[in-house]
Amino acid sequence: MPLPKFDYLRPQTTEELAATLAEHGADAKLFAGGTDLIVVMRDKLVRPKYVIDIKGIEELRELSWDERRGLTIGAAVTLSELIASEVVRERFGALWKAAGTLADPTIRNRATLVGNICNASPAADTAPALLVLWAEVEIVSANGKRVIPIREFFKGVKRTALEQGEFVRAVRVPNPPEGAKEDYLKWGRTRGEDLAVVGVAGLVANSGKKLVRIALSSVAPTPLIVPEVEGVFKGGGSVEGQIDKAASIVVEKISPISDVRAGKEYRLHMAGVLTKQILKRILGAS
Amino acid sequence: MSRHEISLTVNGERYELEVEANRTLLQLLREDLELTGTKQACERGDCGLCTVLLDGVPTKSCLVLAVEVDGREVTTVEGLSRGEELTPVQRAFIEQGAVQCGFCTPAFILAGEALLKHNPRPTEEEVKEAVGGILCRCTGYRQIIDAILDASKSAKK
Repeated sequence: MPLPKFDYLRPQTTEELAATLAEHGADAKLFAGGTDLIVVMRDKLVRPKYVIDIKGIEELRELSWDERRGLTIGAAVTLSELIASEVVRERFGALWKAAGTLADPTIRNRATLVGNICNASPAADTAPALLVLWAEVEIVSANGKRVIPIREFFKGVKRTALEQGEFVRAVRVPNPPEGAKEDYLKWGRTRGEDLAVVGVAGLVANSGKKLVRIALSSVAPTPLIVPEVEGVFKGGGSVEGQIDKAASIVVEKISPISDVRAGKEYRLHMAGVLTKQILKRILGAS
Repeated sequence: MSRHEISLTVNGERYELEVEANRTLLQLLREDLELTGTKQACERGDCGLCTVLLDGVPTKSCLVLAVEVDGREVTTVEGLSRGEELTPVQRAFIEQGAVQCGFCTPAFILAGEALLKHNPRPTEEEVKEAVGGILCRCTGYRQIIDAILDASKSAKK
């Protein structure tokens, strides 16, 4: 079956992209890896008049790191490129691990991290790690630039904070706090390619006061961070008790649905189980 | 709908073509170039049977637009053997009986070739990971994995 008809545009600079979006924004879709877009076009769930390929823009291929700014992941950087990066593996372990669980290696050769968050699936594999890492999203349009925290980027199932005419230039991930430990766990139906039944990322660090962050996917309309978890570790009591309390807070704050992959009750249960597991790992509790 | 002139190299041969914007690389290969070794199946990136090498990298051609491959190099299963001389991976597939209905064979062979090129002695886990995006509808994975492992050993000799 042929895809529905459209015009293909391939801007060469971000300025040209912003101008093209300003003109055609309402009728256009941005195209990076196409691993989500081509599928929804084939299903006729979206019918863009214009498909704007961003891969011709050199600036969007940026994958860089420095001591001060941290990591910058341009909109055209593929997950395979991210996984191949030594810096990402060594310094952003949860993100590196999460990227490696997304779909399969052939898809990862095309799919991009920015595409993963712009698709805004509740199951977005890279989202929990980006949430605990305090990532920021750099948004550009013909009118200028703005930067928002990733936790303000997801607005609903397949909905983001992007306004018409805007695009994500890059995701910026600050360096984790000194001595931080982080991890990501994805619970799926199989060990191979599947969307997450539940995904959990965790990060802990001691920077004067104890810092604990937990974020999840596939358990609410958007990937989400559960900020209330942090307070649990500021009080007294045993670490085991705190971990149990944190898990029960997570279960309270999420709102999973039943779907083809799992029932709501199972998701609630596994979100608690995985939260405990990841906290035990990164807090070093037995 | 926009039309685009592209030039690409497929299996070492150069082509100049005009394609419509909505043409996929998979359609271009099968319908325009009549290279039907690349299979059309789910057309949504799930089964991986349309896998080709794009500049040497395994890629699901149902998710690639033809217009995008302007100036690039595509290898399909037809481009592997030199005349009658099969590659070690192709030979191992025959020896291991890794071909059942044959529908997924081109994709697995290309994924195996790409893996062995940058990792000549993969572990079994690495083989499984590398072919993780391809479905064998006969479920004959054991022989496929063994064939790629065998090819890695024979190629070293």
